[in-house]
Amino acid sequence: MAERIVVDPITRIEGHLRIEVEVANGKVTNAWSSSTLFRGLEIMLKGRDPRDAWLITQRSCGVCTYVHALASVRSVDNAVGVRIPENARIIRNLLMGAQFLHDHIVHFYHLHALDWVDITGALKADPKKTADLANQVSPAGKSGVNDFKAVQARLKKLVESGQLGIFAGGYWGHPAYKLPPEVNLIAVSHYLEALRQQARTARLHAIFGAKNPHLQSLVPGGVTCVADLNPDRIAEFKYLWLETMDFVNNVYIPDVVAVAGFYKDWGKIGGTTNFLTYGEFPQSEKEPDSMVLPRGAIFKRKVGDVQPVDISQIQEHVKHSWYEGEGALHPASGETKPNYDKLDVGNRYSWMKAPRYKGEPMEVGPLARVLVAYGKGHQPTKTAVDGLLKKLTIPQEALFSTLGRTAARALETKIIGEAMEGWITQLVTNLKNGDKKTYQPYEMPEQAAGFGLNDVPRGALGHWIEIKDKKIGNYQLVVPSTWNLGPRCAQNKMGPVEEALVGTPVADPKRPVEILRTVHSFDPCIACGVHVIDPQTNEVYKFKVV
Amino acid sequence: MEEKHILVLGVGNVLLRDEGIGVRIIEKLEDGYAFSPNVELMDGGTQGLRLLAPISETDHLIVVDAVQNGQPPGTLYRLPTEELEKRVRFKNSLHQLDLVETLAYAEVLGHRPSAVIVGIEPADISPWGMELTEIVASRVAELCSRVLEEIERAGGSYTLKDDRAPPVANARCEIRDEKR
Repeated sequence: MAERIVVDPITRIEGHLRIEVEVANGKVTNAWSSSTLFRGLEIMLKGRDPRDAWLITQRSCGVCTYVHALASVRSVDNAVGVRIPENARIIRNLLMGAQFLHDHIVHFYHLHALDWVDITGALKADPKKTADLANQVSPAGKSGVNDFKAVQARLKKLVESGQLGIFAGGYWGHPAYKLPPEVNLIAVSHYLEALRQQARTARLHAIFGAKNPHLQSLVPGGVTCVADLNPDRIAEFKYLWLETMDFVNNVYIPDVVAVAGFYKDWGKIGGTTNFLTYGEFPQSEKEPDSMVLPRGAIFKRKVGDVQPVDISQIQEHVKHSWYEGEGALHPASGETKPNYDKLDVGNRYSWMKAPRYKGEPMEVGPLARVLVAYGKGHQPTKTAVDGLLKKLTIPQEALFSTLGRTAARALETKIIGEAMEGWITQLVTNLKNGDKKTYQPYEMPEQAAGFGLNDVPRGALGHWIEIKDKKIGNYQLVVPSTWNLGPRCAQNKMGPVEEALVGTPVADPKRPVEILRTVHSFDPCIACGVHVIDPQTNEVYKFKVV
Repeated sequence: MEEKHILVLGVGNVLLRDEGIGVRIIEKLEDGYAFSPNVELMDGGTQGLRLLAPISETDHLIVVDAVQNGQPPGTLYRLPTEELEKRVRFKNSLHQLDLVETLAYAEVLGHRPSAVIVGIEPADISPWGMELTEIVASRVAELCSRVLEEIERAGGSYTLKDDRAPPVANARCEIRDEKR
């Protein structure tokens, strides 16, 4: 007998997401992904100054601020035809690299780890054995037996008080949790360490971004952080970068490997079929050829056959979304005409449109980037991926999975982080040689059109702008989570997360932690940052009016 | 540190009309006043965890935000967060890791500041508009005064910038390109 489960909202994600699945014989047989919040940012951009678009779009999200800023500024660069100076490109890359380091650490430890790590299981651990194991997992790790004792004591206090605080609402004790007590304790301990580390890593943005959050140093034609291009600021950046890389190499990656070792069955669950990446981190004007992470598309899991990307082949479908019509349009001529009636998974069920490339749903994000780079023979990626497969003794096919997605995120954190060192060196060399240029002036044309493509922590992000009478005539965003979490298209093909969920085991429909594992592995962000305090959730309490 | 460090954190999304009031108040205060060195003003936007560093490093946190409490739009509130924590979720928040959670994280790290929220009942938080509604805009000056009172109560001080008028009830703020 099939049974329907609705998880609404999915917690520990950035945004509002509703997942409905059909379960039969302990496995998901069908799935529908709905974004229940309307993001009509495009509508309010019309008629504004194109130079302001990046400041506005970065406010649309509470997490991915910089990535929207960069995509937007690139779209205007492209429309007005300005070539940015090398230093500007390096600074933009460094800020993007910093975004990856921060987002991926936070994703693994604070948004995803608790799907795999049982907080209450850590209470049963022996601190001495934990310290020995931690030393095996990562000889350069910093936690000793007393640290684990202390963490365990704090955790015990939390559990005994009944106020789990940040750990409330988990499916603790669920049979799908497979880690031994000691690994649970290592992970909980590193969860706290990651909390400290991310707070410091977040400062990377403040150095060349003028402020964090919502940095201020971009401008079409370049960057504006001229005053910060001095030895002190660059050294500060490098120090925080080094510290973060130490964490990535000696804590994050060893933890992912250790945890994955107990969940190898998840190398067969949660996979998708097609992958797309726009590529990121241009090393010269030649795009996409000069990008560190290459641009490419993979169909039917053929990693050895990476296709070039033809941007004109992107369309957004609305047949199953709350917009007018049934058609599919390219983003450059995209429309945003909301038309909500009711949530009906047989018909229209999401505020997201359904992006398709050459008519196919495409997974975007870390796994897509790693597969494309691997397929194109990018050496650091090959080394990292092959090393991981060997360590875990799993086949290459295991990458097409929830485990593969989460592991790919960790591997690319290291790959991107290591590339950043070269950019810092290049920046210093340029400045030493007297090249201080960070901005290229340009004329705002009466009419123009352009696009900005990024590959951001969550995947392929595109902004399309049309300039009319020096104002924004049309503006469309196609964001990574729309690719991954969008609904079915006009041909009724499932979106990637829907496809990934089919086949997922569900041991207890009332506590579907397995569904969360796969959904969280995509790092959903359906943001636009509503942020209102709502005391109405409490029925009896009224705040005093002052 | 002898003097208590005070962080005034305006949060909210400026694209959702009154939802952005916290950020607008910070802009107004920065524009109109000079503060004692122990007072820091910050536009926190819609961030959660990225605010953990500043939050866990301050002694006293004053949050300025829109508060939906079923009272007439424009109603001002003062909420001590100890009360808030137990009873309130950021229900409409797009961020599971939001301010209340960030405070909880700060506690786990052992650096939780004392905190108070100064807020206002919004009239309209629908997407998308960058201007405050008239009713909320008309309370901006008073809300600024409330925040200034909180700063004084916590041990900070301020002076009016010479060439500026006190904050007026015109909060139409345009985002402009900052060319420096």
